[in-house]
Amino acid sequence: MTKNELFPKMSEAIVAGDRAAATTLAEDAVRGDLDLLEVIEQGYVPGIQKVGDLWEEGEYFLPELISSAEAMKAAMAVLDPELKRRSLSSHMGGRVVIGTVEGDIHDIGKNLVASMLQAGGFEVYDLGADVKLERFIEKAEEVGAGMICLSALLTTTMTNQRRLLGLLKDRGLRDKYKVLVGGAPASRKWAEEIGADGYAENAVAAVKLAKTLSGRT
Amino acid sequence: MTIPLLDLAKTRTVLFDGALGTELMARGLPIGMAPEIWNVERPQLVREVHAAYFSAGADVASTNSFGGNPLRLAAHGLEGQAYELNHAAARLAREAAPAGRYVAGSIGPTGKFLKPQGPCTEQDLEAAFADQVRGLAAGGVDVLIVETQYDLREALAAVRGARSVSTLPIFVTMTFNARPRGYFTLMGDTVARSAAELESAGAAAFGANCTLASDQMAACIRACREATRLPLIAQANAGQPVVGDEGRIAYTQTLEDYVRFVPDIVRAGAGFVGGCCGTDPSFIRAMARIVREETS
Repeated sequence: MTKNELFPKMSEAIVAGDRAAATTLAEDAVRGDLDLLEVIEQGYVPGIQKVGDLWEEGEYFLPELISSAEAMKAAMAVLDPELKRRSLSSHMGGRVVIGTVEGDIHDIGKNLVASMLQAGGFEVYDLGADVKLERFIEKAEEVGAGMICLSALLTTTMTNQRRLLGLLKDRGLRDKYKVLVGGAPASRKWAEEIGADGYAENAVAAVKLAKTLSGRT
Repeated sequence: MTIPLLDLAKTRTVLFDGALGTELMARGLPIGMAPEIWNVERPQLVREVHAAYFSAGADVASTNSFGGNPLRLAAHGLEGQAYELNHAAARLAREAAPAGRYVAGSIGPTGKFLKPQGPCTEQDLEAAFADQVRGLAAGGVDVLIVETQYDLREALAAVRGARSVSTLPIFVTMTFNARPRGYFTLMGDTVARSAAELESAGAAAFGANCTLASDQMAACIRACREATRLPLIAQANAGQPVVGDEGRIAYTQTLEDYVRFVPDIVRAGAGFVGGCCGTDPSFIRAMARIVREETS
């Protein structure tokens, strides 16, 4: 198949959340010795963007987002090792550390944001839920992340988002990281008040924001 | 002899209570601790919250067991105590209830997704909910309320799990978001489909709670009324949380804003009303005055 035939099929596989098709098409691209970065940017990425649009329009819901993100991950699992072999990287967005702050066990929203960020080309380190604030900083330093994403569902735990920013400041690390906050009680106003770099209302918006903040759009 | 709760709703609007977790936190429940543990460690404080709601005029108190299914308790290492914690939750509300008032056994979501989005099978969820219901039923609740459900499949599993061990009436509230094409759960379930499937599964009452503010709730309840003839229940949030001075949490709807829409919610068809996040006994006291006026 030519690029012109393959790329729309790749996009369709992501929109349909079809893991098997996304994987097979990625294998075809590798076998055909295509430019894999072009395959990602023109084949798969338009698919995940379309998924985001469908979500915003109220056509897609969480199951579709998850299926599409999984299909994207499956394709990337084929493409990434090949890119590495060619000394290239698909992670245009850089590294992101994400987790639900300590005291809070809610992880549905956080998991979705993590999946969508990964599908959006970020290298994601998901620390899980109820994560000690220290741990976010340790991990970000360890992997050389550029961004830290903090989730909180409870009004009582969202104040830990503010505390993390304080910790970063105390250590002179504040300017090293973009800090994004999310979760039901968070808001743009809250992000501004605590001095975070941004707030996103949902996973689709989070990917857009992360791309903007990392200079990709 | 107290008449069954569903029969009471045929004679007048029935009032549930408001938020529970934040009331416990106001009494010192540490952040991050499972509220259910207080059913055995601080029973007098749990009873005190129920008593405050009853004295505000609530007809029904919901038990301190929202996170009491074993899958959810497992996040705190408490899964082995599911029966004990739910039994205690029911007993405490029962003890706080004056004669002629009611206790609803609260059953929240597991926090786990069903396959393919998550690790659980429907059988896993049914078994977990059944465990919780055994405790609640033995502790003496009058009805069960499966609440804040964002996945119809999980809500249905909760109804089947409850049915497998108990004949108590089951109320179900889903949490709907206002989306471009109407009201949907997180998983994309519509009001109409939720109502229809829960009714065939044997739910005794259907409705919406959480997420929506009281003005939006009236519209959502109208959508529920178009979808089903089941008795309806509505428990709105007091708007959205905002962080005020010194980290104090406030909600965007004041008490006056919130209760202003209660008559609309009742007229839209809710026979049962109560509060959710951001409400407290003062909201329930104000709602009690309103529903009594509406009825008389």
